[in-house]
Amino acid sequence: MPTEYVAPAEHELETIDIDVNVGPQHPATHGVFRMVLSVDGEIVKDLDPVIGYMHRGNEKLPENCDYRQAIGYHDRTDYLSQFNTEHCYVEAVEKLGGIPVPERAQYIRLILAEMGRIASHYMFVGAFGTDLGLFGTSFMYAFRDREYMQDFFEEITGERLMYNYFRPGGVAWDVPENFKERCSEVLARIKKGIVDQRGLLLDNDVVLARCRGLSPVTPEQAIDWGLTGPMLRATGFKYDIRKNEPYCIYDRFDFEIPTGVQGDIYDRLTVRVAEMEQSVHIIEQALESVPEGPIMTEGMKRILRVPPGEVYMRTESPRGEYGVYLVSNGSDKPYRHKVRAASFCNLSGLRAMSIGHYVADVVIILGSIDIVLGEVDR
Amino acid sequence: MTQEAAPSPAAPAPGPVARLFQQALPGVDITPSQTPIDEAITVHRDDFLRVMEAAHRHPDLAFDFLRCVSGVDWLTELESVNMLRSYRHGHTVIVKVRCPYEDPHIPSVSHLWASANWLERETQEMFGIIYDGHPDPRPLLTEEGLGYYVLRKSHPLAEIEEWQEGYLATIDAAKAQAAAATGAPVVDEKAAKIAAAQAKAAIITKTRADARAKGLPPEDEKAAVAAALAKWEEEQAAQAPPAAGGAPVDPKAAKIQQAQAKARVITKAREEARAKGMSAEEERQFVAEALKKFSDEAAAPAPAAAPAPAPAAQTQASKIQLAQAKAKLITKTREEARAKGLSPEDERAAVAEALKKFAEEQGG
Repeated sequence: MPTEYVAPAEHELETIDIDVNVGPQHPATHGVFRMVLSVDGEIVKDLDPVIGYMHRGNEKLPENCDYRQAIGYHDRTDYLSQFNTEHCYVEAVEKLGGIPVPERAQYIRLILAEMGRIASHYMFVGAFGTDLGLFGTSFMYAFRDREYMQDFFEEITGERLMYNYFRPGGVAWDVPENFKERCSEVLARIKKGIVDQRGLLLDNDVVLARCRGLSPVTPEQAIDWGLTGPMLRATGFKYDIRKNEPYCIYDRFDFEIPTGVQGDIYDRLTVRVAEMEQSVHIIEQALESVPEGPIMTEGMKRILRVPPGEVYMRTESPRGEYGVYLVSNGSDKPYRHKVRAASFCNLSGLRAMSIGHYVADVVIILGSIDIVLGEVDR
Repeated sequence: MTQEAAPSPAAPAPGPVARLFQQALPGVDITPSQTPIDEAITVHRDDFLRVMEAAHRHPDLAFDFLRCVSGVDWLTELESVNMLRSYRHGHTVIVKVRCPYEDPHIPSVSHLWASANWLERETQEMFGIIYDGHPDPRPLLTEEGLGYYVLRKSHPLAEIEEWQEGYLATIDAAKAQAAAATGAPVVDEKAAKIAAAQAKAAIITKTRADARAKGLPPEDEKAAVAAALAKWEEEQAAQAPPAAGGAPVDPKAAKIQQAQAKARVITKAREEARAKGMSAEEERQFVAEALKKFSDEAAAPAPAAAPAPAPAAQTQASKIQLAQAKAKLITKTREEARAKGLSPEDERAAVAEALKKFAEEQGG
């Protein structure tokens, strides 16, 4: 694989680079995302990402809503891991307001957030297979399992996509009585599904040939570019907010942080699949000890006001560090509401990751970042 | 709402990270504060670059990960908030720096952390904080740039057309002059619209007050308002004069021609500006100038019909002042309304009235 652009020798024909526009409506861009590639034949010499097609003012709108109304906007930033984004926001409000959370609610949140991580990674492996040209196979297998999970989420929250289920101080309502049984059923399917995905993608010769050694990233580069989550761990750097800056009740459970070796595309894939297995492991431990009790802190006011102050809360979302910076001035609305989107920062490294590679590989490199444009543009 | 509510009024005792900063940077004024998770420090703008360089390079600090950059609008000042983490030592800090509204410049740190590149570009675009020394200061989320800063508090969530008045004034003036050039009567559509809306609002308010005085239920009140509005509209329709005479034979065609000519001017000016490598801001100004020149030229053949020259463009500072005064007024009225326990609807009406009064005072 060439990693460096090699200039043609002097006696060859003089050539010029051609700008190629990809997107914003293009199946390989995972949404409305545009890249302007400057190519020399098949080699990419420069890349200019153009984002913002979905900019909806997701930071401004919650500054004009009260603290509970703003939860819905977090479903809509990263619309593939809604539980994780909601989790970060409600934790930020709780940290700022000093609001305790009952045990049962903590367990429910943790289980759902880990389920959300699995669902999001299923989306990734499915879509990544499509990027590689394995059209249909891995995608359909991934979506088969994701559908079971969506049914499960619908039973709990009443929604298939925009759950709006977590609240500052707990969750909106209690889970159904058959929660544990249904959870175990879904987990059994997931475990089988992960085995299928390993066979389809990780042990696949075509995938190995195309992804091994492509676009390697060193830990130093990853940290400098601000990469987080599986992108950072694929480089071999062991860092997970759930372990290193524990929130919720993650410190009670035993799990591994999967890491890669050289930060190439294949490592990003393996890290994500291994993370799904670890999430299953966490959920199994949590299911054994879900306590009975209230699901919401008593005495929560109808109009929630938090004392003046500021907080930067971050959680480990499937894409990396999802952060919410809240500034309160004591009123019932956030004064400033900033979302640190994991895919936004991960995407900013795309240019450096792509230069010197084939055009066809840029599609895979972009796919391996696992962007959600709703989160990038906000 | 106001900057009195800003956190960290009294400096608490510095935490361990703030002490490390003080040791690494003797003589630099560092104000420590505490958030529920991280320690925060506030520094002066002149020291900011020194502090950030030390944060990145000093072995005791070694903040190798810039996780987030955020702006905050404190109405008189803009704040840039930098969240840092050190993977080596496992500690975190929030570094805050403020700049005045009139001079929104802060040194860029993208030469220290590559991740600052996009984060600063976004903040620059949304807050108008200019990061000096940024290698690529193009707008990020809106490719062409907006020309106004949406995350500032002075930018309203709705009624954007009203707020954009200053921005659109040049275009309106050009329109009026173009109309004068083609000989069409100058109709100030906007003023007429505003007057109509104000008259309508007055009718609604009056009908509502009457209905409440009579103690009607909400549904009847709504019906009464609708009836009053319908009556008013009928009256207006009756009063409206028949189509004005003296207009050119085909005003529509003339308008279209005019618009096409204008579009050509804009395209040309933009291309020129890009060729010269201007920034988005300069480009916009360049286009506005070209437009003005164009409309002046168009107005020249018919000087008799030319309307009064457009009012001198408001300076940036006075605009900001106006926006701040408005924002203050809104806050005050709202708080009063809440203190009185008014319903959200009444609150909104009170705010609208206060704003109207304010606009009248400004005009007078």
